Amino acid sequence: MQNRENEVSKVVRGASAGVNPERWVDDHGDCLYRYALLRVRNPEVAEDLVQETLCAAVRVYQGFRGRSSERSWLCGILKNKICDHFRKLGRETNFSDLEFLNDEMSHKFIDQGWNHDLGPCEWKAEAEFMDRAEFWEIFRGCLSKLPARVGDVFMLREMDEMTTAQICQALKISQNNLWVMLHRARMALRECLEANWFENKPKLQTDG
Amino acid sequence: MGNAEKPSSSSAENPSFLAGRNWLERLLVSFIATRTPKCREVVKLLSQSMEVKLPVTTRIKIRFHYLICVWCYRYGKQLHALRKIASSLPEHVDDCSQETLPDSSKERMKQVLRETWRE
Repeated sequence: MQNRENEVSKVVRGASAGVNPERWVDDHGDCLYRYALLRVRNPEVAEDLVQETLCAAVRVYQGFRGRSSERSWLCGILKNKICDHFRKLGRETNFSDLEFLNDEMSHKFIDQGWNHDLGPCEWKAEAEFMDRAEFWEIFRGCLSKLPARVGDVFMLREMDEMTTAQICQALKISQNNLWVMLHRARMALRECLEANWFENKPKLQTDG
Repeated sequence: MGNAEKPSSSSAENPSFLAGRNWLERLLVSFIATRTPKCREVVKLLSQSMEVKLPVTTRIKIRFHYLICVWCYRYGKQLHALRKIASSLPEHVDDCSQETLPDSSKERMKQVLRETWRE
């Protein structure tokens, strides 16, 4: 809370004292770049997106009243740029994605029900791991194992908080197709997190 | 045939609320199992429920299914956890990547920003 107030007052002071957008490059450039790179997987495209973000930020700076921290404000602009990027892209789903999408995780089920030994285990509360750097490394690793298109769709939905309708329109895919992709992405990510994080942790509570 | 309706050898370790531990449970399990979707279908519906509000009858069926299947119940909770995790990633991006913008790019960006700022 203290931190937040400091941030806000810093921003307000910055606005009255004449802001220096070049400082954004040093303060937030790497963070924005990392996020962009995670999303578009191409250093040049990521750099362009960061630059577009900062330029847009300069243009709309008057509208920014320091309600949020500078970083989350810039991050919000970057998210919009990323959505636009995918709108312009409109790629086709490639073959490896289709293979992934057809994988029904059959070993997890017997007939139509969970195989009791391989079914989801109990996860501990998010508060216990969300501030651990190792957790985020593992989550990133899991995201990068998704086929590109499936990962894009999942991240547009869950990180950029685009609506289902917006994603369908932007990527020119049917709602059914989108649902299948999201279902498979969630299934694979859940699986990957459980295998690499939750089951590795001896303190995990199980009720079995 | 849902796995849950078969009192298999591992039913002793089945932590579901109803797991066929006695005749009454067995009766209830088979009653619910024949009237609710199978797990494979339930996990699809749970993912859909993150996008749209499912019809009330479907939601009730899923609730009943949870009684006989702790795994689907966990799966549903974990989809919400996954959403929370994914939406928090932007704040933790410094924890999971070490890439940095090359200095030359930073300089170029500052140059562009100077010009844009003056306009």
